[in-house]
Amino acid sequence: MATHASAAATHPAPHPATRPAPDPVTLAVLDNRLRAIVEEMGEAMLRTSYSQILNSSRDFSIALCDAGCRLVAQADHIPVHVGAMPWAAKAVAEAFAGDIRPGDCFLLNDPYHGGSHLPDLTIILPVFGDGSLRFWSVVRAHQSDIGGATHGGYNPGATEIWQEGLRIPPIRLGEGGALREDLIRMLATNTRIARDFRGDLMAMIGAARLGEQRLLPLLARYGADALDAAVSAILDLSEAHARRILATWLDGSWLGEAFLDDDGFGQTDVAIRARVTKRGDSLTVDLSESDPQTTGFVNSSYPNMRSAVAMAFAFLLDPEVAKNDGAFRPLEVIAREGTVVWAREGAPVTMCTSHCANEIVEAIVRALQHGCPDRAMGGWGRRFRVAITGQDARRPGRRFVWHMFHARPGGGGSARGDGWSCAGEWHSAGGLKFGSVEMAEARFPLLFETHEFLPGSAGDGQHRGGLGGQLCLRIESDGPCRANTAGDGARHGAAGMLGGRDGAPHHYRLRHADGTERVLKTKEVGIPVQPGDRLVVEAGGGGGWGPPEKRTPEARARDAAEGYA
Amino acid sequence: MPGYTIGIDVGGTFTDVVGICTDGTQTLAKAASTPADQSEGVVQGLRNLADALHLTLAELLQQATRIVHGTTVATNALLERKGARIGLLATEGHRDVIEMREGLKPERYDLRLPAPEPLVPRRLRIGVKERLRPDGSVEQALDAASLRSAIAALRAAGVEGVAIGFLHSWAAPRHEHAAAEAVAAAMPDAFVTCSADVLPQIKEFERFSTTAVNAYVGPVVSRYLGRLKARLAEAGYRGPLFVILSHGGVAPVEEAARLAVGTALSGPAGGVAAAVESALQGMGQDLVTFDMGGTSTDIALVTGGEAALGRGRTVGGERIALESLDITTLGAGGGSVAFVGPGGTLQVGPRSAGAVPGPAAYGLGGTEPTVTDANLVLGYLDPENFLGGARRLDLDAARRAVAGLAERLGIAPDACAAGIHALVNARMADGVRLATVRRGVDPRDFTLLAFGGAAGLHATAVARELGLRRAAVPVFAAGLSAWGMLHTDLRYELSRSAVTAGGLPGDTALRALFDGLEAEGRDRMAEWHGGAVAARRSADMRYGEQVFEIAVPLDGIDWQGPALADQVRAAFHARHRALFTYDLPEEEVVLVNARVAAVGVLPRHVPAAGAEAAAAAPAGQRRILLEGGAATAPVFRFGALAPGQAVIGPAIVESATTTVLLRPGDAARMDSRGWLDIAVPAAG
Repeated sequence: MATHASAAATHPAPHPATRPAPDPVTLAVLDNRLRAIVEEMGEAMLRTSYSQILNSSRDFSIALCDAGCRLVAQADHIPVHVGAMPWAAKAVAEAFAGDIRPGDCFLLNDPYHGGSHLPDLTIILPVFGDGSLRFWSVVRAHQSDIGGATHGGYNPGATEIWQEGLRIPPIRLGEGGALREDLIRMLATNTRIARDFRGDLMAMIGAARLGEQRLLPLLARYGADALDAAVSAILDLSEAHARRILATWLDGSWLGEAFLDDDGFGQTDVAIRARVTKRGDSLTVDLSESDPQTTGFVNSSYPNMRSAVAMAFAFLLDPEVAKNDGAFRPLEVIAREGTVVWAREGAPVTMCTSHCANEIVEAIVRALQHGCPDRAMGGWGRRFRVAITGQDARRPGRRFVWHMFHARPGGGGSARGDGWSCAGEWHSAGGLKFGSVEMAEARFPLLFETHEFLPGSAGDGQHRGGLGGQLCLRIESDGPCRANTAGDGARHGAAGMLGGRDGAPHHYRLRHADGTERVLKTKEVGIPVQPGDRLVVEAGGGGGWGPPEKRTPEARARDAAEGYA
Repeated sequence: MPGYTIGIDVGGTFTDVVGICTDGTQTLAKAASTPADQSEGVVQGLRNLADALHLTLAELLQQATRIVHGTTVATNALLERKGARIGLLATEGHRDVIEMREGLKPERYDLRLPAPEPLVPRRLRIGVKERLRPDGSVEQALDAASLRSAIAALRAAGVEGVAIGFLHSWAAPRHEHAAAEAVAAAMPDAFVTCSADVLPQIKEFERFSTTAVNAYVGPVVSRYLGRLKARLAEAGYRGPLFVILSHGGVAPVEEAARLAVGTALSGPAGGVAAAVESALQGMGQDLVTFDMGGTSTDIALVTGGEAALGRGRTVGGERIALESLDITTLGAGGGSVAFVGPGGTLQVGPRSAGAVPGPAAYGLGGTEPTVTDANLVLGYLDPENFLGGARRLDLDAARRAVAGLAERLGIAPDACAAGIHALVNARMADGVRLATVRRGVDPRDFTLLAFGGAAGLHATAVARELGLRRAAVPVFAAGLSAWGMLHTDLRYELSRSAVTAGGLPGDTALRALFDGLEAEGRDRMAEWHGGAVAARRSADMRYGEQVFEIAVPLDGIDWQGPALADQVRAAFHARHRALFTYDLPEEEVVLVNARVAAVGVLPRHVPAAGAEAAAAAPAGQRRILLEGGAATAPVFRFGALAPGQAVIGPAIVESATTTVLLRPGDAARMDSRGWLDIAVPAAG
């Protein structure tokens, strides 16, 4: 049975309008202020976080929600977290109903209780004004490890969530402004890099507290009720903004499909199906025809599915539309529990913030390509991770772990031009930095023989996709290493739109010194690697936009001259 | 015979020229900027300064002992994409580094944003067979045939400049230098630049991008500075010509041509130099600069009397990783347009009315209200005395523009004007907060140093919003950058990466690394001037697996003492604690870059104390609209205020180039240098 998860049903009802909206100047000042607060919290987080994954890739998100858990402001960090934070605030509000006090600090990560996937921890702080709860200050950040069977949390072998790491339902991590050190010790003990865990957790709490510190003077200066009224007015304006844009799209109902390569347990071409209906200034996304949930970790949690739909919607609107509850009100989401987009409690889901989140986006954009052709963009590439671990002769006795962020896939073409080359995947959309080749060589036993664009990898089109990267990496470890992979996109390339062609799929292989090769699958553990082996990566390009025959001769001549094609 | 030092700042509209005489008197002159060839406006500005001093241009230049210049030629070439046609020689297999941009794309939610054109098109980025390892050893020797054919291809393409970026040249520049010699031999007129000479630091994207920018702006900057030098020589100038660089120090004109990329922030650098000088002169050790112009506002921090430096600068979308003043630019200034944004709320900026049509009050056809229009409607500006009366402001046009917006918002026109003013103040305060949280400092004990034509009307409101208790507006508010250039020293930045697979180098290697850099810096400085030279040592360091380095000052290190590496390690832990609240004493410490700044101290003229005078009476009064309602405010002439004279808000203090609004509760005092030092009450 399809569960009807409409915006109205899942978000708390808006406050009754007890007082008139503030004047337009106060509204503009407060709107600016709230956005500036989340930006400031993000800067504080960036400055104080410890682990590489946070301070390099900015894989964290910051939001303010109101007392009713409506998203008020979210900073532009990782798109896959957009719209996800209210679910975390709601989980806390429900778990601790009637027992929430100033100075409390809550934590969760469980995807079945308000989280996205286990590596993402979320800190939720209540902010009080005039004696009652007024805001939630929310900080989510990806941890470099969360326990479980494999280092880093991505376990392609997991068939249940308990093999993926430590589950944290909403817990009270602190009260009266003090933290529960015993709880933190218990949590840290269950991760492989306790120091990173603690450092990042403290940074998250610090950023959330900064949000509180900034909100309190606003509450004092304008009054809590006036601020509530302003928030409601801001959300209403954003709703109107989104609806004005939606109204310009064609009405209709379309089916969009996207396929995961496989679930790592032999099930291939797992379908995500989005039936999208646009009427007037409203949009319904129905994912209930998607395939049943899988054995492996490509299933989505409910909040992650909701944020993937919100992400697709945000991509198709104008970038300046505020990311708040109002802007997402025109969107109704229907899904069915037990499908790959909404797994039943207990199923593994760690891959979901990239896969199947990216496929949910792709299916929705595909469905809407004829409804808003100037907005629908060619598909962005998929994530295919590789991590190699072994010994470095230059640092005896110290194991190295190297995570590949290089040879990124291409972005999609669009009405405004060709796609970005090597800018990555839907879920990060150019927000994930790959490290310096020189620094990697200085610190790891690796030699990057080639790291360049891969000509011809992009999907052709009136505007072609961006190019994927190619990498030839010589392993110079002291003795054998092992590699793990986690990802998708070796069967399915990034989707072309409106007649544009799909980008090439990924092709990764291990080339041994004797010239023989082993093709790498997207979900493997314990791959043996010998010194002298080469990791040869050909990353997929982005999807094309518009029919290739409409590509201008000048553009084709340029592609040839520059060596892009 | 008196001597003069002369500072020249070329802005978008005006070229400001400040002359300081050995007797301490200071004179400001202005001329219209000449974008086609900035040196024309410069010479005109010098002529105007000579006039003001009752000298001929030749007399002034004969008495000038130093000219310091801030130029926007490199910045404009980057912003307008009008640099040279250039090629890039790269390590084979790695020619796309500058177009890959580390996988990053701006504007997270704009997936349709078109990708920028790289400064060097792919066909002119040519791989050369060669390869070094991180320890500087040769993996593959530089292949002469491959180099020859690459150079032939660039020559055939007719490039004016060649950037050379080989992997690991930070560890050993020999392949790059050999390639540069070959290019110079084959293309004698080309501007050739090696990444190992521009920025000998590990991390290829930052090094290659900075080098490509250097090649791109180098030919343009060289030609410009050559013209300027010739014009000044023709007019009779025989002294040294210095250019202020992005790091806030100055260098001879030849160095600015060689490292043209280092002039990308030359424009706003003078203002920050002025802030550092004002800290020395007693304005407090911690300052926020607030330089509000027509289209944007620059914010920088001075902490402990020193300007903050950073390496994350992007100009015109291009990464420049040289040490630069850490200046945050906000897209809001006097010319910013107020409008109802697509989201339905009132917005101010970043769209600007520019110089033409400009604010509605300019009467040049602008119909949308700007910040300047709002300030005029509120009575803060005098329509008869804008830019010293050079431009009459049309109050009715401003009122009409504001009323149009007010109608759309459903509020009264006066409320709308007050709203524009309040919103821009709120945005400025947010900008300062963000700049301070980025540096990990609390701004409340800082002094707001306001300059640029438009800052005086907003300074004390922004200070209140931030909880700052002190603001200052110099009498040269509109020409402070030119003044600041005369109060900074010669500076040459050296850096060298020293990354190893393990932790820090040993004591001996560490000492040799820094001693070598310092000796090189002192040699260079000796070529530039004969005065005193100081050297400051610092390092970029991080914990083992961290990605970002932090800058660690090494002032307190005993370089000849024992356990040098341990001392350096301890300095890093302490700095990490100061910045991030924690340190990790057990963790491996990595030194990425060693840095030395060689500073050649230049003489300063001590400002003359203002003559004793009786307190000036107001020159008039004006009705102004404040948050609390209408008030009648006395209007004082800035230049007429006596040293020590107090002015209590509400009041207006105006000069030909700037207007300062004192709000109720503000208490200003004219200090001995002619700066308005304002005590701001706590926000109520």
